[in-house]
Amino acid sequence: MYQMIALYLTIFFEFLLALAFAFVYGESKRTSEYGPIQTKGYKIRKYYFFALVATMGIATILTLDDLPYHSAHAKESATTETKVVEVTGLQYYWEMSEDHFTIGDQVEFIVTAGDVTHGFGLYTEDLELVAQTQAMPGYENSVYYTFEEPGTYQILCLEYCSVGHHVMIKEIVVEPKGGVENGE
Amino acid sequence: MESSIHPLAKKTVIYYLMTTSILLIFMMILGVIMLLNQGEMIQISPEWFYKIMTAHGIGMVGVAALGGTSIMWYFLSKYIKLRPSIFLQNFTLSLIGIILIVIAIFGFNFSDAWTFLYPLPAQSAQFYGVTGPLLFLFGVLILGVGYLIMYAYLAARLIKEYGGLGKSLGWDYIFRGKKGYGPPPAVVATTMVVITNSTAVIAGAIVIIGSIINILIPAISMDPMLAKHLTYAFGHVFCNATIYMAVIAVYEVLSHYTKRPWKSNKAFLIAWNASTLFTLMIYTHHLLMDFAVPTWMLIIGQVFSYANGLPVMVVTAYGALMIVYRSGIKWDFASSLLFLAMFGWVAGAIPAIIDATIVVNHVMHNTKWVPGHFHTYMGMGVIAMILGFMYYFNKKEGSMKHNHFDTFSIALYFTFFTGIVGSFLYAGSMSTPRRWAVHMPEWVLSDQIGAISGIFVVLATVLITVRFFTGLKGVGKTT
Ligand code: HEM
Ligand SMILES: [Cu+2]
Ligand SMILES: [Cu+2]
Repeated sequence: MYQMIALYLTIFFEFLLALAFAFVYGESKRTSEYGPIQTKGYKIRKYYFFALVATMGIATILTLDDLPYHSAHAKESATTETKVVEVTGLQYYWEMSEDHFTIGDQVEFIVTAGDVTHGFGLYTEDLELVAQTQAMPGYENSVYYTFEEPGTYQILCLEYCSVGHHVMIKEIVVEPKGGVENGE
Repeated sequence: MESSIHPLAKKTVIYYLMTTSILLIFMMILGVIMLLNQGEMIQISPEWFYKIMTAHGIGMVGVAALGGTSIMWYFLSKYIKLRPSIFLQNFTLSLIGIILIVIAIFGFNFSDAWTFLYPLPAQSAQFYGVTGPLLFLFGVLILGVGYLIMYAYLAARLIKEYGGLGKSLGWDYIFRGKKGYGPPPAVVATTMVVITNSTAVIAGAIVIIGSIINILIPAISMDPMLAKHLTYAFGHVFCNATIYMAVIAVYEVLSHYTKRPWKSNKAFLIAWNASTLFTLMIYTHHLLMDFAVPTWMLIIGQVFSYANGLPVMVVTAYGALMIVYRSGIKWDFASSLLFLAMFGWVAGAIPAIIDATIVVNHVMHNTKWVPGHFHTYMGMGVIAMILGFMYYFNKKEGSMKHNHFDTFSIALYFTFFTGIVGSFLYAGSMSTPRRWAVHMPEWVLSDQIGAISGIFVVLATVLITVRFFTGLKGVGKTT
């Protein structure tokens, strides 16, 4: 979801930017005195400055509230237990204490590394990146994800870790509720 | 007031620019090879891919730094007398560094990326031998030392001429209400770069020396998190400094062409002071996915990355628009490249700022989105400034004139560079990871678009470089 927001916002702002540059280019062949242009330009700049600060302020307020660093979601719904999964990244494979889940599972991945720094990237079946954290030797990072769709997910390595970086893929399976594995 | 540049410094500018342009073409070809491989149009081994990636990364950063340095030195010489031997020593040490790096990568298979994230080089040293990592780390260190010597000299000169680095950053005008204009923009920008980049290089030197010691004596190790902080304090600031050096050409050339003054008024000085501070603070946006870093530090990373967009957007780019507006400016290679470069810088800052948002970074960090934004402000920003300066230099110091051919090359360059960065950003929005030698079928189309765009960018750069070298002949005659 955030990927699409990022893409469209970028296109939107870059379009505005291109318009501004094209406009000034179009006006560049005419000449008039710089003094009045500066006076007017500085006035416009004030509004422009406040508009930018306001945009950034709003973005900050909207986004700082839902940081991925703690299990905000897990605490909200105290009825379900959080499954704890230990993950270790090694050249060039992932060790996980569990790799089969059921829909609705809230999982805390406790991620570390055994040799060099790797990156734990959780991808859906459609290859959309939905969560990540760094896997650094000597550190444990907890990243939370609740599985809502069944399918084969993949862990891809997201920190360059030498020549096998791109083969560091692990599949994990998420079954529908009452699926085959549960036998109910 | 204006003193002319020392003949040896002028010659050294030529050395810098020749090296920059030739290296640029080679590094771009490496970039195209990577895309051809990811796009499954050619096949190279992963070992080769990652060697090429390492060479392209460090090589391009070197290109931007050399080009930026030559711009800074050239224009700063107009305002303060500089000793050309320092300029030449930086060039020499850079060359030695580059040679060691090339030997490390292609002779001893070093492929741990230009960010050499600890403990990766030490790990590789165990498997593939210590020579590669050591040569690479020493190469970068020597390059850094060259810069450190140059910055120390520039700091000494600025202090001598202006009475302190605070003064050459215009503190008298900001805090003490002094009226009029501050030091020339070239001086203000140089001060900013001296302060931020010396800090960066020292941070880099510490982590490099730490890595070297760890390779030689594995019992002595570093904390990987501390090492990462130092690495990005170095890498982030060093890359940013290339823009802040190169932008001096925009100030100088656009004001020259429009015959309008670009002076350091209060807003200008405040902007540059803010950049100085923010540039040093925001490298933590590279660690947003290191959850072990204290959250307040990461929030600073987000908030000040936003704020760091303001100086360029509100003062520098806006200033470029204002100075050009109804100025009757003559558009030639230099003025149009520098104008477009300001567009490129801001266009790259936009996706960068969006990615510095923690919740966005959570699903876009280390995807192709990242090369997407930095190729925009490096390729269409810094490099465009450097190419613009190359033309300007030949025109000012020689007898080069713009022709239709140049209009074509510039249009070609910008059109297809937009193709490259567009394909990267699109790939990033599809979650394509960065630094993957082999791509999944879903990602291949964007790589092919990038590769084809890249071929045309190489072509445009070759045309621009050929014109630069032919133009240099005129410079020889007038010296
Ligand atoms: C023809 C133009 C260019 C092409 C085709 C190109 C292509 C590429 C590709 C394919 C990558 C690796 C992407 C990945 O992670 O999968 C890359 C990385 C990079 N490029 Fe370029 N590039 C070009 C120009 C530039 C320029 C002008 C600069 C800077 C001045 C630059 C700096 C870098 C850096 C710093 C990296 C990061 C390397 C790493 O991840 O370790 N590139 N480029
Ligand atoms: Cu990896
Ligand atoms: Cu950065």
